[in-house]
Amino acid sequence: MDPSEVEFLAEKEIVKIIPNFSLDKIYLIGGDLGPFNPGLPVDVPVWLALNLKQRQKCRIVPPEWMDVEKLEEIREQERREDAFTPIPNPHYMELTKLLLNHASDNIPKADEIRTLVKDIWDTRIAKLRLSADSFISQQEAHAKLDNLTLMEINTTRTFLLDSLNYMYKLRSNMQPGTGPGKTQDY
Amino acid sequence: MSDVLSDAGDLSGEEESQEDVLTPAELIARLEEAWLNEKFSPELLENKSEMVECVMEQLTHMEQNLQRVKKGDLKAGIHRVEIDRIRFVLSSYLRSRIQKIEKFFPHVLEKEKSRGDGDPSFLSPEEFAFAKEYLANTETYLKAVALRHMPPNLQTVDMLKAVPEPCLDSFVFLRVKERQENILVEPETDEQSEYVVDLDEGSQHLMRYRTIAPLVASGAVQLI
Amino acid sequence: MFCEKAIELIRELHRMGDGQLPAFNEDCIRQVLEEMKALYEQNQSDVNEAKSEGRSELIPTIKFRHCCLLRNQRCIAAYLYDRLLRIRALRWEYGSVLPATIRFHMCAEELEWFNQYKKSLATYMRSLGGEEGLDITQDMKPPKSLYIEVRCLKDHGEFEIDDGTVILLKKNSQHFLPRWKCEQLIRLGVLEHVMS
Repeated sequence: MDPSEVEFLAEKEIVKIIPNFSLDKIYLIGGDLGPFNPGLPVDVPVWLALNLKQRQKCRIVPPEWMDVEKLEEIREQERREDAFTPIPNPHYMELTKLLLNHASDNIPKADEIRTLVKDIWDTRIAKLRLSADSFISQQEAHAKLDNLTLMEINTTRTFLLDSLNYMYKLRSNMQPGTGPGKTQDY
Repeated sequence: MSDVLSDAGDLSGEEESQEDVLTPAELIARLEEAWLNEKFSPELLENKSEMVECVMEQLTHMEQNLQRVKKGDLKAGIHRVEIDRIRFVLSSYLRSRIQKIEKFFPHVLEKEKSRGDGDPSFLSPEEFAFAKEYLANTETYLKAVALRHMPPNLQTVDMLKAVPEPCLDSFVFLRVKERQENILVEPETDEQSEYVVDLDEGSQHLMRYRTIAPLVASGAVQLI
Repeated sequence: MFCEKAIELIRELHRMGDGQLPAFNEDCIRQVLEEMKALYEQNQSDVNEAKSEGRSELIPTIKFRHCCLLRNQRCIAAYLYDRLLRIRALRWEYGSVLPATIRFHMCAEELEWFNQYKKSLATYMRSLGGEEGLDITQDMKPPKSLYIEVRCLKDHGEFEIDDGTVILLKKNSQHFLPRWKCEQLIRLGVLEHVMS
């Protein structure tokens, strides 16, 4: 999956904005939004928040978890524990990137947040590499992956799945007649 | 196994009758699920032409409404962005299917041929027509350019053998939507023995597609 | 050695990167077909001899030649099929009209296959939904509500963007436009992305 497609899914997450315009309720195919009143917070999907922000029609309220203290706590817990700790948002990485790139003026301590999220990401990806490595070397057939986010899965998807499939082919070709390679005989 | 299948059959039967009362928002959620499942499953999944038609209707309807709105309207702009987003998912979903049909055309057609009367079709009528044309076109081509110049006993190629099959033993990532008990995990090597796992609602797993293929079909798990 | 020319065909495609289409190697295919003809004729006469004169010692040679024939057939089919996959990908990359430089590398039958493929795909896409159908070769990337700075490289005329505003794309003019609206125009060389 292309990372831009994971980002696309992240853009469905809901954020609060404070609009500077008035508009009646909008009846979108995917559900109703609004009404919009200047100065009154309203929930919208991230794709709309970014669109309005770029046209200078709103201020984005950062999600609760996008906060230096909270993220520091998560970082420490992530470093302390071997397992993947529950993360406050399934798209934390993409949302951080999107909101900091396009609405950093609405997010207090943006640089610190960027660094913290990067640290959390790095710690988790290092764990992911270790578990992928042991999954392959132990020749496991099943793994439980709770708390992993789609973007994290996606960074390892092609490499891990291709490796597993190649190994499977090599193993089944060693047992003549049982493998899937019946298509190529001569 | 037969229980699982008949359960799945019942479920999808129920879903069909409910389909009439799906809200547009639920319809879009279905489309997104179908999109990810089709993207990540190694084989072609059952077609959802009714869903595709409903989504197209929603898009057309919305586009018609928008033509009456004056240009530069903020509301219309928001609707247009949403339309573009839905159209992307729909196109990407149909693209994944066409790509698999092209990749596995002899097998897809074979499966369709051996389908029982009551079984659901994997191909929509339009996809079926496309697959048949693709096969005929490719056979004609191979014949014209080389096979007809070969010795008489070598003038045909068995497409079913020549074109690789989908590899159902591929690993996939999945999220559980409805709890499942006693899913058999087959061993990878001779030294290991098989075991069963429970799939709790909301949990995520990495395992072989073959094991959970019926659960993808019934909607109990979502590929991710 | 038998089958060497056939392997050459495979190597030739293997050497080229994915998505590249080398010139159709008619000469090499002809040579493989000639080798097949010769192998087949030798086998025919040996089979007759083995049958009529009971010369069973000819059978291993016959089998060997048959394996070579199968291998030649397989290599040619693989060469041709792999080229079709590359040609198919071109339809998605360039649209229904291929650049002359690429057409030049295709044989007449490949052009015929391409035209037929184009037609099947168009029929399929027209059948989707309402009267107009759905062009699934568009919208390859997720739409982005993000705007980019672009410069116009040639006069293109009026252009409607997502919120319904119409702008005039005049040579050398610069605009701030939704990225996904510009993708195709960038590919066509009408616009260029201005990196800041």
